[in-house]
Amino acid sequence: MSDLTAVRLQTEDFSQDAEIAALKASSKRMGGIATFLGCARDFSEGREVSTIGFEAYGAMALSEMQQLRLDAIAKFELLDARIVHRIATVTAGDNIVFIAAGAEHRVAALAACHWMIDELKLRVPIWKKESTPQGDAWVVPHP
Amino acid sequence: MIQVLFFGPVADRVGQSALSVDYQPELRLQDVRDTLAVRYPQAFALVCMTAVNGQHVRDGAMLLPDHSEVTFMAKFSGG
Repeated sequence: MSDLTAVRLQTEDFSQDAEIAALKASSKRMGGIATFLGCARDFSEGREVSTIGFEAYGAMALSEMQQLRLDAIAKFELLDARIVHRIATVTAGDNIVFIAAGAEHRVAALAACHWMIDELKLRVPIWKKESTPQGDAWVVPHP
Repeated sequence: MIQVLFFGPVADRVGQSALSVDYQPELRLQDVRDTLAVRYPQAFALVCMTAVNGQHVRDGAMLLPDHSEVTFMAKFSGG
């Protein structure tokens, strides 16, 4: 569970297959893996969106994501978890964030995955700006 | 010297991503916020979270050591 690549901020795209393979490699006791993939949309708040740019307070964001992973492992008795978030300018369909939770059984994996993406939105200092034909605008978070 | 950082929508409204505030003994986090909020009211209308040296801080009475890094942040929108 000390994989240094398990939590990352990165510009480039990621491979879900590679992330899941890395998660599975951490334990042969894993019976359930739940994943969340967040991707860019071309429409938001009634406006067409051409690109989405992300900005992070990098050091704090990474630290918060690392703590979030550890909290999830402890709270849901996970065998392992991974969190990857891109800090880049993306277009519709591009990957943004990937979360995976591995547990002995599905209930813990599903609950942990849901909890981690909700907590990430609350705890991790990342902001996104949408570019639209009407201009650029920072996104106001939804509950 | 206290280093103050801004990101995203707050940085846009401040017009820069960092500035410095002179350190003085007994300087509180709230003192820095109050001073900058007067100078950048539109930016601080968005501020709802604060970090000191990369850690969330909710206590405005926190005394800031010299060379602290303070960040005033708008609500996050990652994911």
